[in-house]
Parts: sequence; C-alpha cells; structure tokens
Amino acid sequence: MNAYFNNIKNGIQTVFEGMSISLASFFVHPITIQYPEDDISSAEKLKETYKGQLGPMPENYRGILDVDLSICTACQLCVKACPIDCIVIDAVKCDKSKVQGTKSEKPAVKTRTCTRFDIHMGKCMFCALCTLACPTGAIVHTKVFEMNKYQLQDLVLSFVSEEEKEKAIKRDSELKVEAAAEKAAKAAKEAEKTEEEK
Amino acid sequence: MNLLTDTLGMTEFWANVVIMLIVCTIVFAVFALMSGITSWAERRIAGRMQSRYGCNRVGPQGILQFVADAVKLILKEDLIPDGADRFLYKITPYLCLMGVLATLVVLPLGSRAMMVADLNVGVLYFISITSIVVIGILMAGWSSNNKWSLLGGMRSAAQIVSYEIPVAMSLLTPILIAGSLSVGDLLDSQGWLPWEWTAFQTPFSALAFFVFFIGSLAEGNRTPFDLPEAESELVSGFNTEYSGFRFAVFFMAEYGNVFLIGLSTTALFLGGPNLPGFLQGNPFLSVAVMMLKTIFIMFVVIWLRWTLPRFRIDQLMDLSWKYLLPCALIAFFGQSVFMLVAHQIPAITQITSIVVFIVFLLIMIKFIGRIRTNYKEQSIPVGLN
Amino acid sequence: MTSELKTEHITINMGPQHPSTHGVIRFVIKTDGEIIHECDPDVGYLHRGIEKIAESVTWQGFVPFTDRVDYLASMNANWAYCMAVEEMLGTEVPERAEYIRVIAGELNRISSHLVAIGAADMDMGAITPFVQLLREREYINDLLEMICGARLTYNYYSIGGVNYDLPEGFSIKVMGFLDHFEVAVEQMHRLVTYNQIFINRFANVAAVSPEMAMDYNFVGPNLRGSGVKYDVRRNKPYSIYDKLDFEIPIGTASVGTLGDCYDRYFVRVEEIRESVKILRQCLQQIPEGEIQAKVKNAIKPPVGHKYIRTETPRGDTGYFIYSDGKTSPSRLKIRTGSFTGMSIIPELARNIFIADLVAVIGSLDIVAPELDR
Repeated sequence: MNAYFNNIKNGIQTVFEGMSISLASFFVHPITIQYPEDDISSAEKLKETYKGQLGPMPENYRGILDVDLSICTACQLCVKACPIDCIVIDAVKCDKSKVQGTKSEKPAVKTRTCTRFDIHMGKCMFCALCTLACPTGAIVHTKVFEMNKYQLQDLVLSFVSEEEKEKAIKRDSELKVEAAAEKAAKAAKEAEKTEEEK
Repeated sequence: MNLLTDTLGMTEFWANVVIMLIVCTIVFAVFALMSGITSWAERRIAGRMQSRYGCNRVGPQGILQFVADAVKLILKEDLIPDGADRFLYKITPYLCLMGVLATLVVLPLGSRAMMVADLNVGVLYFISITSIVVIGILMAGWSSNNKWSLLGGMRSAAQIVSYEIPVAMSLLTPILIAGSLSVGDLLDSQGWLPWEWTAFQTPFSALAFFVFFIGSLAEGNRTPFDLPEAESELVSGFNTEYSGFRFAVFFMAEYGNVFLIGLSTTALFLGGPNLPGFLQGNPFLSVAVMMLKTIFIMFVVIWLRWTLPRFRIDQLMDLSWKYLLPCALIAFFGQSVFMLVAHQIPAITQITSIVVFIVFLLIMIKFIGRIRTNYKEQSIPVGLN
Repeated sequence: MTSELKTEHITINMGPQHPSTHGVIRFVIKTDGEIIHECDPDVGYLHRGIEKIAESVTWQGFVPFTDRVDYLASMNANWAYCMAVEEMLGTEVPERAEYIRVIAGELNRISSHLVAIGAADMDMGAITPFVQLLREREYINDLLEMICGARLTYNYYSIGGVNYDLPEGFSIKVMGFLDHFEVAVEQMHRLVTYNQIFINRFANVAAVSPEMAMDYNFVGPNLRGSGVKYDVRRNKPYSIYDKLDFEIPIGTASVGTLGDCYDRYFVRVEEIRESVKILRQCLQQIPEGEIQAKVKNAIKPPVGHKYIRTETPRGDTGYFIYSDGKTSPSRLKIRTGSFTGMSIIPELARNIFIADLVAVIGSLDIVAPELDR
C-alpha cells in the first residue's frame, strides 16, 4: 500500500521536474552549427553567425593531405608509415631547385625529386601517421574537409603535374648524360694518365 | 438552407446534401491543415527541446515541410508486402482516418453553433467512435503479414480497450455537472473564467480532468503510451510495412489525433469557446479562444512526448486498472457527494472552485520557479569558443 | 469448450537492422506473444578482421586500427595497444605523457558513458535526454579535437607516449567545461534517471547475481553493477592511476534487486562523476616535460608474448600480442567487454518482455564493432 502511494507521488514529482527541464531547454539557444551558413574554420568567423557554445575547428585539424613539394625529399618515410598504402612516390635524382625554378643563392644540389606523388584520399583514414613520420614537414593535414568528387579517380590527389614530371625526368636524363660524359671524360683522363705512366 | 431551396430551387434533400458536403470539406480542410501544422510544430518543438533547430529549410522557418513531406510520400511507390491480406491492407489507413475524423462531428471548432451536429448523446458518440481507430490499427497489424506489426496491433488493441474505461469513467464527472450528454450542454455548463471551467470546479473534477487527459494520451498512442509504434522496440509497429500515400494517411490520423486530444479536452474540461457575457457568440473570437486553448493543450501533449520515457506493456495496464480507474471512480463518487452537499449549501460551489484554481496557480508558480532554475543551470557557459 | 486453443511460439528476427540493437547485431527470438521464450544472439555482422590486419601492418601502423575496434572509446583502445607494445619493448613513458594519457582517456570514458546511458534512455523512448547528452559529448569531441585534430578516430597515443602536446590553455578549457558539465548532466539525470517511469522500466529487470556475473566473465561496469568491486585501474594499477584518488562505484540495489538493469546503468552514471574527479586532479598535477619516449622508427620487439589489461569504458579490455621479432605482430588478439556482455543475453532474455530485452541490451552497453572486431 505504501509502495502504491509512493509510486504515485514519485511519478507525479519526477514527471513535473522532467517537464520543467525540457521546457527550460526549450528556451536555450540551439547549438547546431548550420553547416554551409556558419563558417567553422576559425573562432572569429564562427562568431559572426553562430551563437551556440561549440568551438571552432582547431588549427591542427586533420583534413585532407597537402604536400609541399619544394621541401619534400622523396625519402619515402610517409609511404612506409602509411598503414593502408595510400601514398605512392616515384623519384629521380636531380637538382631540384633548378627543375622547379626556385631561385636560390646556393648552387644546385643533387637531391631526389618526385616524379609522382599520389595520395588516394578515398583510402586515406586521416590517421596522421605520415605527417608524424615526415622529417621536413612537407606532408601536412589541411583544414579542408570538403572532398566530394563525382568520380572515384578524382579522389586520387596528384601533386606532381605531367609537366613537372617530364621536366624532372628530362633533367634527370640530362644529368645522367652529363654524369656519363663526365665519367667518360674522367675515364679517358685516367686512361691517358695510365697510358702516360706506361 | 433557405438560400439553396428558394433561389436555386433545390429540394430539401439535395440542399441538405450540399450543405453536408460543404461542412465536411471545411472540417476536413481544418483537420488536414491542423495535422500538417502539428507535425511541423512537433518537429520544431522537439528540436528546440533538444538544443537543435528542427526542420527550418522548406519555407519560412520550415513551415512548408509538411507539404514537402506529403508530396514526397504521394510520389512514393505503394508497396504491398508479399502474403498480405490485400483488401484489409488497402482499406485500413482510411478506417483509421475515419475513426479520427468522425469524432470531429460532435466537437466544436468554435462556439456551440459551430458544431457539425449537436447530438444529444454526443459524449457517448465521442467515446464509441474513437474505438474505431483500434480496429484500424489491429487490421493494419494483422494484414501486413509482419510479426512486428502484429505485435504492435495487439498491443494497441489491449491498450486502447483498457484505456476506454478510465476515460469513459472520468467523463461522468462533467456529465454530472452539466446534467446532460450533449457536448453543447457541457459547453454551456462552463463559464469563461478559469474557475468556472469544469477542470477547476471541484478537486474531483480536477482529478477527472487529469485522468481524462492521460487516458486520451494513451488512446491517441502518444508517448509515454506509444507502445503500438514503439520505435526502439517494434520498429514503428503497425505501420512498418506501409509506404507512400497510405502511410501519409496514417501519419495524418496520428497527428489529427493530437488535434483531437486538444479539442476534446478544451471542449469538455477547459471551458471551450466560452467568452464573457457581452461577447458571447461572437464567431471569430470564439474560434480564436477555442483554437488558442487547443493549441496550448497540443503543445503540452508534444512537450510530454519529448520528456518522458515509454511504459512497458504490463506497467501500462497497471496504470490503467490500478491507478487511473480508481481515480476516475473516486472523482465520480466524490463529485456526486459534493453535488449533494452543494445542493444544501449553494455558496460552497463558488468557494471550492476558486480554492482549486488558487491551488493550481500555486503549483504553476512553483513550476515556473523550477523552469527558471533549470534554465539558469543550462545556460552556464562552456567556454569553448 | 473443453478443447484447448492451439498456440505456438512465433520466431522473430530482431536485427540486424533494428533501431535498438545499436549497430548490426541480430537476435533470433522465439516469443509467446510479448514474452520472450528463447533468444539467440547472432554476432559477426561487423567483423572486419582487425586482428588479422595487425599481422600485415607495422607495429605503429596498427594504432589507427585500434581506433576502429571501439569507436566510442578510441583513446582507451589506443592506450591498451600502446601499453602492450611498450611493455614488450621495455619503454618508459615520460610522466607528462602518462598524465596526458589519463586526461584523454578519462575524457573519452565520459563521452563513451554518455552515449551508453543516452542510448539506454533512447531505447526506453526518452529521446530528449539522449540528444542532450550527445550535446555534452559534442563538447568533449571539441576538446579532444583540440588536442589531436580528429573527432572520432583519434590515433592520439603513440608507442612511447602521445603524438601531440596539449595545446595552450587546454586545462582552463577543460575546467570550464567540467563546471558546465557536472550541472548539465545532473539535470539530465533529473530528467530521466530519477524518473519513476524510467525506474520502473529498469529496476528488477534481468538481475545478474555477483556469482553469475563472475561465471559469465562479466567485466567493467557490468560486473560492478552486480556488486563486485573490481576495477583494473584499482586492482592492477597501470599508468598513474595508483597516484589518483577516486572511488570504484558498484551496484547497490538502490531501487530494485542487486545487479538489475538500473544498477548497471547507475554504475555508469557514477563513473562519469568519478572521471570528472580524476580529470580535475590530473589537470592540477600535470608536470612539464617530454611527451614522447625515444622509440626507433622500425620497432622490432623481442620474440615473446604479452597480455595487457586495461579498464576501458566497456570494461576489462585485453590485448594479447605475440611477437616473432619482425616489424609486425605475429598474432594479436583483442578481448573486449561487449563480447562477454553479449554471451549472457540468452540466459537473461528468458521469460521477459520484448521491451525488457531492449532494456537489457541498452544496460549492457553493447557496441557492435567492438563485439565483432
């Protein structure tokens, strides 16, 4: 009998309390970020249109990957770090600054240059292991998260254009020819030397 | 009527038919519009209670959402599951809708003159016609050839049949006060001031109001009594297999039911369209008052849905038989005794009603206080941006 | 009238696409009307072969896959795996990294429990508390996004420490959030946890006695809900948990029988409060220093095996690793809490209502991807 009346009492009390809470939240401003209207890329831009409590996108947000080829050394560490093999790098050895046309005081040093740097964003799982492995910070996550494409192959990001690739290969073969010529010259010189010695 | 028979030369029979059709169209249009708007309002209110916006894309504040939904549903393919009882499956949604719509015959949209028919057994008609819905739901569950639907239908039958009783019992109290079964007389027995409404006449009628409101929630399959469709248990129950226009009709019946709960509660307990003496019978004002009260009750119904968890089937039966039915009986006997006493001492009626109303006001003040504290608690800043 | 009515049990498929199974789990139930006669859980719909994947990726490369084992508590799954590899290598994790690990792990525990209790509420038909609790989880996601840049699959822990240091002003933001959170969550409990309808739905349903819980190998909050005071964080302390002051909540049969759905549910509620306590302590005590121990690029742990137990939100999660000295594990086995919770369902779901089965699933906090791996 006691339990019966307790049930009624508690029922009415808790229902009233519950109703007061849901009505109170009726008056609180919604926290939804209206996606295309509100720009979440930075705190200032978010505050312009959004009045809720959620925070903006942080600086270290892990969006789609971007590669700075001018500092990439084609060391393949990211390829090794990637657990799902979505990065493919082909490289040739050549003086990169000359190929890329960057003006530098220093004489052109022979380094590896990418002839192919493809990232399959359809496979990528945004784990950031490649960015952590990169010794120069060439591969980074950007804050871009809109990556819808109509074709699957459009999801493959190619950072080296055909032109650059050809340039690099051309320069590579040039260098190879130069090196061969040099070698030949050296060999000839040496041969001369030995002949002279004889 | 005179216009039709005299100027257009119709016989009385045909004039009646024409008037009937016009009235039907008006009532149906109001009903359809209200159920559409209710579905929009429910989504908006639920959204705000859950810190989100709800639908706000179609039209200003998303108010055209229900039109878009209806268009989408009508364009969908009308699937009939394999092995279904095709005839029953097809007619069921209309049966459900009919059960809801037919109730509107005795409920006023405005003043007493604006009822389709002021039957002298209006309340009886109201109680009995609402039971048609249960046949519809049971048929829907049976004919879909789906076990979840069948369970939903069975639950609904058990639920509505058992809740008929406390609802009918609680209606005895206003009937006692009015001394009539006609809804029009019930309206006339109430005044325009809150303490002249049936709900606040005596503590017993307040109890009856409470029982009636809970019972009609259960009959309308609204949370916390939405077991027949219990989304997380029965995968929306009896209407699982329905699609397209038939689903739209079910949908309309469901939201129409909310409108009906509001309308019947207002008419029977909350003073209906009654206005102060000098304004009595003003058609526009009475419609406005009626709709205002109805919309408030509808808001409460929606508000309850987004607050409370759902009962289990046995607890639902417990509530009906162990809690509501005794309450309804207490209300009935209490009211009878009170009326006997009031017959001797007439002054007691006025005093009790004012006291009941003041108690109600005090509860409301406490309630508003709780809302304020909860609101303050919710608006503590998070400090993320 | 003497002939009896012919009745039969009906067989119903609950799932794999059912709103209350929280993912793709299937229950084949035989019911007598509303009452369940027999329930046969069918798992494996979400099997992705994560244990097999481990054998073909590097030791570090497997960390993001542990995120996918239990997407609601990725941090804790990362943690368990990294700890196992560290034990094999004998790496000492810097103290600051340990503190950061506890902070991230406890934040993730809170967010996971929020989903657990929210989903239980939603199964009972109370949708508003679910969405409101998810709102609080969204703030935690924002905080975790601040430290690692991702919102769901964090990949924050690395072998030997953590990947990134805490951003500037992080502890102030967490403190500010906790002040809001404690009040807001308490309010949500007033809305649903203490609600009489809700209590009636959960109390006295599917009670698991302590003996039965141990027989069925219950772990984590489910075990504690049955009144057994066992928490890996206390009984076999790892990381810095022995330095921290917190309680182990257990089921007390406050409204029903010991070990019923409400007890299991309420243990999670209490655990959120304890996690808040732990967070406050850690944020005050956190020292300066390194966040990453020196670990080689290509890890090759010595030949041998290791089993590590950690307390994740779904209980005692174990990572068994067998190494044959190569760059990837030779065999890896993950033991999860959801699976043990699942195995008791045929026993519990006997002679209860269909609606109660939903309550049981909700209170056991079963997460499908963790169940199937």
